[in-house]
Amino acid sequence: MATYYVDDAGIEKLLRGQRGKSTFAPVKTARLAWVDPVNGETDLADLGEPRSAQSPKGLFLPAAESVGRYGRSTAAATAARADTAVVLGIRACGLRALKYLDQVMLAGDFQDAEYRARREGMLLISCDCVDCTDSCFCTLVGGRPYATDGYEVNLTPLEHGCVAEAATERGQEFLETAGIQRTPAGKDQLAERDRIRAEMTDRLKRQNERFAFVSDDQTQPGLPNEGDAAWQEFAADCVECGACTNICPTCHCFYLYDQILGAEAFERVRTWDSCLLSTYHRMAGGANLKLSARPRLYSRLANRVLHKFTYSPQQYGLLGCVGCGRCVDACLGAIDIREVVGKLQRSSQTTPAGGREASA
Amino acid sequence: MISESESAYLPQPAELVEVIDETPTIKTLVIAPQESLAFKAGQFVQLTLPGLGEAPFTPSSSPLNPERIAMTILRTGAVTDRFHDCKPGQTLGLRGPFGKGYPIDELKGKEVLVVGGGVGLAPLRALILALLADLDPVKRLSIKYGSRCMEELLYRREHQTWSQQNKVDLACTIDHPQRGWSGKTGVVTTLLKGLDIDRGNSYVFVCGPGVMLKFATFTLIDEGFRPDQIYLSMNRRMSCGMGLCGRCNIGPYYLCKDGPDINYALIQDYPDVF
Repeated sequence: MATYYVDDAGIEKLLRGQRGKSTFAPVKTARLAWVDPVNGETDLADLGEPRSAQSPKGLFLPAAESVGRYGRSTAAATAARADTAVVLGIRACGLRALKYLDQVMLAGDFQDAEYRARREGMLLISCDCVDCTDSCFCTLVGGRPYATDGYEVNLTPLEHGCVAEAATERGQEFLETAGIQRTPAGKDQLAERDRIRAEMTDRLKRQNERFAFVSDDQTQPGLPNEGDAAWQEFAADCVECGACTNICPTCHCFYLYDQILGAEAFERVRTWDSCLLSTYHRMAGGANLKLSARPRLYSRLANRVLHKFTYSPQQYGLLGCVGCGRCVDACLGAIDIREVVGKLQRSSQTTPAGGREASA
Repeated sequence: MISESESAYLPQPAELVEVIDETPTIKTLVIAPQESLAFKAGQFVQLTLPGLGEAPFTPSSSPLNPERIAMTILRTGAVTDRFHDCKPGQTLGLRGPFGKGYPIDELKGKEVLVVGGGVGLAPLRALILALLADLDPVKRLSIKYGSRCMEELLYRREHQTWSQQNKVDLACTIDHPQRGWSGKTGVVTTLLKGLDIDRGNSYVFVCGPGVMLKFATFTLIDEGFRPDQIYLSMNRRMSCGMGLCGRCNIGPYYLCKDGPDINYALIQDYPDVF
């Protein structure tokens, strides 16, 4: 596949000019949204801005959606829709989150049809980070501020214009039909791309130096188990709002509930859920049964962090945290997951090979 | 298995064909799914009350009859109240089966100890019936069952049939002495002391309320069983059944997918197991 240079006018056209094709792109950080600029959105974020405030998760797993109808008038079971759309501006951390969600939703015995349809329908145009927020920490979890796989086309904003690399046939076709001027990327432009990538990586490493841990998919910080009182220090600041799980690009836990549509007609709905909430762990039962599997808040907080850093590598061979830092920004109690992991880690450990096999 | 064209989250219609009053607090709902639902003993299903939602139950009937599946349900809260109010002829929904099921293939040549508390005998009945259908492979089946009182002893009408089988023994206890009861009294752990079961060649399957699971496990360990010989029925609030929705984890294990009967050796080091 080819690597091109696209000028600023071309980028503008990529962002706003894809008539007849839904294009989801992040808007200015003050607003928590990914929008379709075809609908006249004027507040689009510049590609040079840091990763979006909102994670792209909702484009693939909506906050609430019907998973189907049952009962009498259900002849047309809601078929998973496969609209084609372009997601433009997703970052390396976002792609890494999708790789994780693919493992969860598609690689097991059961597959989530709704997720698969969206995943296949979306064309992913990623963008290197040429700026970051104070909370970004991809380099602490084995990531980089630029993508190396998982995209159709990747953009690297340069001082003027950008380098556009098509990684797949579909990406190549997108660039060819986008109606933009493009020329093969020159040596200087590729050198500028390498320089920008190296500088951003350094910047991220420097800004996260004080958090004394390093992890990746193979090596995880050794954390105390969820019953350890060491978690209490952080749980004291948790107000159980669930913002971290909602904004997290990999948190995928959900709740199913049923609603009545009419006589003998029902619908099952899936909504995001949060493991920080006490109701999430509620169990049935009366005498002799405890009502929650995790009655203590610090165990719930620990369970979330352990799921990211300890359990996910065992379940999927992947770290559950991509270092986007959105939960750091969103937390009402100013809990910084980097501090939690850095302070509580006691040793590093290597995941036994096998991933999923481990639970077999 | 659910057909691929439909969402794995949707139930198939299932007619409630019979409601059996087992004890003052326990009923068995016998359900005929529209398409027969093959399951292994120990696998669970999600039972839907249309419009209200679903709850996980492990069938108590024999896996040899997938056309009529029985769920034995203790009245214990809002959801189970509703199930107790169901009447034959009503349409419910069924989704599944989920989970691993009991490791029946590993029981060849083994002594099998089944320990039930209260309504916990329900999923174990599927195991017992599966084993009774062909007792040749196992060396022995020993059933220990405890209940609060005489009236709450589950499947009492079947106890004699079970214990009359060659290789099978059954002992029951109720929590407190009661007029008309000449059997053992005390909690079920009292039946687990000094067992003449070969520690090196046996498996134990335990199901009951959390507190019973806990003390039964500790008693078994004290009695010389290894953690990897003990399977516990760890029923948390499974929802999706496929390891996706997240709520039933113990460490890296999802009880819906890796359980609900799970080897104690896998989970013993995690807090809040019981």
